[in-house]
Amino acid sequence: MSRISPPHASRLLAAALSLAAASLARAEGGTISGKVDVQPAKYLEETIVYVKAVPGTYTPKTHDMDQQGMKFVPHLLVVTQGDTVKFLNHDNVVHNVYSPDNEGYNLGSFKQNEDRSYTFKKAGVYSQLCSVHPEMLGYIFVGQNPYAAAVDKKGGYVIKNVPPGSYQVAVWNSKLKGPEKPVTVTAGKTVEENLTVKR
Amino acid sequence: MTRSRSVAMKVLLATAALAAAAPAGAIPAFARKYGTSCLTCHTVYPKLTPFGEAFRRNGYRFPGVDSDYVKQETVPLGQEQNKKTFPDSVWPASLPVSVPIAIGANGTMRVYPDKTASVPRGNNGTQFALDDFVGEAHLWAGAALDDTITLWAELTIADGGAEVEHAQVLFNDLVGPKHAVNLVVGKGFPIITSFGAHSSYIADQGIASAPVSAMLLGSGDPFVLVDNVTGAEVSGVIAGRIDYNVGLTAGKNTSTFGGFNSENWYAHAGFKVGGMRLDGEGSTGAEDSLHPWAETALTVDGFYYHSNEHLDDPISGGPLADVSSTVGGQLRGQLGSLELDVGYYSQQHDRGWVNAAALAKVTAGVFYGELSYVLFPWMVPSIRVENISLDPSGGARVSDLHVMPGIAFLIRPNLKFVVAGNIESTNGFPLDTGGNPTAWQGGAADWGAFVASPSPNYTATTKKQEFESLSFFLAWAM
Repeated sequence: MSRISPPHASRLLAAALSLAAASLARAEGGTISGKVDVQPAKYLEETIVYVKAVPGTYTPKTHDMDQQGMKFVPHLLVVTQGDTVKFLNHDNVVHNVYSPDNEGYNLGSFKQNEDRSYTFKKAGVYSQLCSVHPEMLGYIFVGQNPYAAAVDKKGGYVIKNVPPGSYQVAVWNSKLKGPEKPVTVTAGKTVEENLTVKR
Repeated sequence: MTRSRSVAMKVLLATAALAAAAPAGAIPAFARKYGTSCLTCHTVYPKLTPFGEAFRRNGYRFPGVDSDYVKQETVPLGQEQNKKTFPDSVWPASLPVSVPIAIGANGTMRVYPDKTASVPRGNNGTQFALDDFVGEAHLWAGAALDDTITLWAELTIADGGAEVEHAQVLFNDLVGPKHAVNLVVGKGFPIITSFGAHSSYIADQGIASAPVSAMLLGSGDPFVLVDNVTGAEVSGVIAGRIDYNVGLTAGKNTSTFGGFNSENWYAHAGFKVGGMRLDGEGSTGAEDSLHPWAETALTVDGFYYHSNEHLDDPISGGPLADVSSTVGGQLRGQLGSLELDVGYYSQQHDRGWVNAAALAKVTAGVFYGELSYVLFPWMVPSIRVENISLDPSGGARVSDLHVMPGIAFLIRPNLKFVVAGNIESTNGFPLDTGGNPTAWQGGAADWGAFVASPSPNYTATTKKQEFESLSFFLAWAM
């Protein structure tokens, strides 16, 4: 059995304390909620509210985006920079996944029960297309941080566990534009911010 | 068959032909597409409100971004993002989930109060004509492939058979500022004023037609200004207040000899002062929200139309080319719910009639005017006046005046009823190729048609006044 030298032990202890503090801060973060008024309302479904530029590093995660019934499921997926998305195919027809956005990628064609993965290194919105079925469309919203949420059917949104601080809250919509608004988050409290997006 | 009965039959056939050629309007397919009432674009359809006219000028698109207003579900034939990968992808489009068609029917019942008037006299004294009460059935289609390309079609079925009256592809916003340059290809109306062809409460068309070669040379399918022809047209609205149309059409080629191509062309420019912009952009709504059709505006139009019509020479029996030039203008003045439309054009044919066994020039002068007042959204009293004169080189100048008072009723937004009187005053009669007085034809067609068959004892200078008819027009669309 190897022994840990005192300097190493102190560094490990410091790292553990730092991690614990960060976890505590996140656990004691605040909530941003509100409603987005989308004009025209028919474009409500493709709306995401997100917090810009939150300092920190975030553990990469893996998410699934399926292709079922000739649709991308979910239609809108929110991930964080560094995360990986596994594209599945549960249709008995061949699908393809490609995106012309940002750096762009083409994962080739794959048949039923096969999958392809892609790691998003750059923040941005990536439309997901299938070259075999041009009507198919999905979106992957890659945030700089995980503090983002798609709106519900009434336009409401909730972003939880945001570290206390002052930020800009912004909204993305596939067809419309919205303003950025300053928001101050306090630990354990909910701040309400309503937004409007339009042409 | 006596000569008078023969003439009367020809007159009735000509009336039927004109009625069959007269297109209807209203596209409930658009109402379904946008989930909006007919009243968004029409008063008593097919008459358009200022917004409806803007929608038509914009290539059947709403101001702003058209797809923002579409409520009908669509099937994407590709996604917007495919544009980023063009030419490795097909440019995207969409299809409406349901077939974008609409159906309708219309017809006219006529009553001839004066038994001695020309039509009942030539028709065994019949005073009630219900034959055409269901005169036409229509199948319309209107759809958008995306925010710039739209489709528009109309199939009309009548006693004479079925005819594709419209089948157009509209490429909008081709270059420059929005609405500035659009291209329409296919079959449809040449647009020679700032307003839709059906700009009348009383007649089927706003512009009165003068089928000169039908009256004087016996053509069965004469050239008239507003007709369904194949061709291409470039149009646009500049700065919201000026509109233009320039077109090239196949024209009329009825010669049995074949091998002749017409090269008809036309140009129009209009200018509107006051009221909604011609493209409807940036509108803040009507002055009175309860009267969305009402505005205070003046629109001035000018147009030129060059036609090269091919038919059979009534003298030699060989092919004949009759070239005509038309210069005209129109004014529309609106003061709230009161609207006055007046127009005049002069049309000169180089070989338009037969004089002393030789083809000669003839000039037609056509005036039309309509005064209407939207008393209620469902009731519009109007009075329409049309006058056609023919001035043949070496012959007597003749003219025919029609006064048509009437009321248009909107029983439901998609069901209408029009009652219109037709009082006619002829000052002489056109002479056919044999030098005999022949029937007047033309006007705005359908229930307001000019038809007065001359009695055998009439001459080219006979004056005649008669209460031609009382017409009851019924139409529905859904």
